[in-house]
Amino acid sequence: MLLSPAERQYLYDSLVQNPPIRPDARNVFQCRPLEATTTFLPSSNGSARLRMTDGAECIVSVKSKVVKTADTPNLLEVDVDVQGYRDDSNFVATLKYNLSSLLHKNFPFEALKLTSRYSYKLFIDCIVMSNTSYPLTIISMAIYLALKTTKLPKLVSEVDDVNVEEQPTFSDDWEDAKTLGEATGSDFQPPVFITLGVIGSSLLFDPSLEEEQVLENGLIVSFYDGKAQTPLQNINLALNSNKNNYKGLKSTHIVSAISMVNKYCGMIIHALDTLIDQDEGDGQVF
Amino acid sequence: MDVSDVISISKPSIARTNVIDSDVEMSDTETNGAEQTSIVTPGELVTDDPVWMKGHGTYFLNDNIYSSVAGNVSRVNRLLSVIPLRGKYQPETGDHVVGRITEVGNKRWKVDIGAKQDAILMLGSVNLPGGVLRRKSESDELQMRNFLKEGDLLNAEVQSVFSNGSASLHTRSLKYGKLRNGIFLTVPSRLVVKSKNHTHKLSGDVSVILGINGFIWLSKTSTSNFTNNESNIAGNRVQSAIDGQGSYNPGVGSVSITRLEEESSWEIYSDKNEFIPTTVRDTITRYYNVIRALSYGELGITDQRITMGYQASLQYANVGKLVDKDAMEQICDDVITNEKMRGNL
Repeated sequence: MLLSPAERQYLYDSLVQNPPIRPDARNVFQCRPLEATTTFLPSSNGSARLRMTDGAECIVSVKSKVVKTADTPNLLEVDVDVQGYRDDSNFVATLKYNLSSLLHKNFPFEALKLTSRYSYKLFIDCIVMSNTSYPLTIISMAIYLALKTTKLPKLVSEVDDVNVEEQPTFSDDWEDAKTLGEATGSDFQPPVFITLGVIGSSLLFDPSLEEEQVLENGLIVSFYDGKAQTPLQNINLALNSNKNNYKGLKSTHIVSAISMVNKYCGMIIHALDTLIDQDEGDGQVF
Repeated sequence: MDVSDVISISKPSIARTNVIDSDVEMSDTETNGAEQTSIVTPGELVTDDPVWMKGHGTYFLNDNIYSSVAGNVSRVNRLLSVIPLRGKYQPETGDHVVGRITEVGNKRWKVDIGAKQDAILMLGSVNLPGGVLRRKSESDELQMRNFLKEGDLLNAEVQSVFSNGSASLHTRSLKYGKLRNGIFLTVPSRLVVKSKNHTHKLSGDVSVILGINGFIWLSKTSTSNFTNNESNIAGNRVQSAIDGQGSYNPGVGSVSITRLEEESSWEIYSDKNEFIPTTVRDTITRYYNVIRALSYGELGITDQRITMGYQASLQYANVGKLVDKDAMEQICDDVITNEKMRGNL
């Protein structure tokens, strides 16, 4: 996206003020509103669809497969498809890498264990139907919703099969299926990513397309287990931009990013959980 | 601190439009020959009556006329057409539009105005520095990027529309030209109501240009553009003399006979913003969110509605709250109630 020099200057001057004046007057810690639906794909174990007011839309499906634990190096596989980008493009590869590393580092894998030989393997497929700003946050929130609502069939055969060669068998009744949270027996909260824009001394949550064009730097911070986690890295959020304003990152930015994420991300998780509670038992897509 | 201060996540709402008439009811109304509009979807039978001529948005198959777009049926004499609810902007001569330069070419600029094709702005259709009476020269052709370059926003008028639907623009008036001191947003082009004037001064030192193509420019009301006094012209002369030092500016030093010449200094192609106070920036964000709310509620956008929406938005002290769905609906409701009370509806 190309801005005229006057527009760019206006946006930059507004955003470097303290407190920054964002084009839509959002607070620095305020995300754009979302619309979400869960559990609407009938052939998936879990699914979610997330839409942003600017038209960005993402669908995530979680499917499962029973595998031999010993033969499988990772029990989670993430695939990302962005409309308008080649699968081997840098943009898609970076998104995929970030999401994979986020989930591999912060996931309760014991929830996927079936027996001493077998495990569930989860395939997380994300489709970004349209995007304007950097889609990492919206994808990771959709993954959160999909994983939270993922239901896996209940195992009815023996758990201990070290000495007996036995194929796992499952309950026919879908009502018996358990969510990952029920399987772990604890409050299961998948990790999420938050994108932050850096401009002047301020950090902006969830920068919009216009804001991305004038940012001095970008940060992606992951949030899991109630606090900011790794991976945490800086990134150029503006695509195809000539990076007029691109600058280095101060260490104070990272510190304040972590404290902001610690302070406000809990609320995002809370909002996502509230939506899942509302959505229970309602299989409508639109 | 409330969760909704950070993010609001809601379930998608079911479309709020009224139930669309069924085919049966429609054919009833057609036999009555009533001059009324109804909504049709692509592939829907509009009429099997052979008296109608097929217009835009329809196709003809086996003596029946079907709709090819989703929209309102319009009947003018014997001509039947369907006006699409959504779609690309279709330029018409005389439209005041806002556009963004996409390409600089041979004696012309290509301008994105949200139509099917980019519009054309000829070098001869702009005010060149130095005034209208000056002939455009070869050196003008060589330095077209100094006037307008890729990414620049401008407002212009559609001069003519070619047979393939693309438009030719001109900026030969002081109200047209490069845009500065503000922010750009788009709404669906159908929402902008055509009127005599598309540049409006709003309260709070903010101006808005409502391009008919749905491109909107919100800016600080310029001090120079709307005043028309001697001191301003004198100021411009001084300014252009300063600007002119060491650079190309024919006509600036000569005696001028029209104000247009005075205004048409290099200043009109400047990329520099004026000083914009924080209060004005805050007001602009409020208008920005009000226009977005009107667009969300599918309300036609006029300056009265923007003003009414602005008044309605004042109940939200925190302007950032206006991005939420509830707040946007509230503003649209308030605007409609207000109009009903005034008897505009």
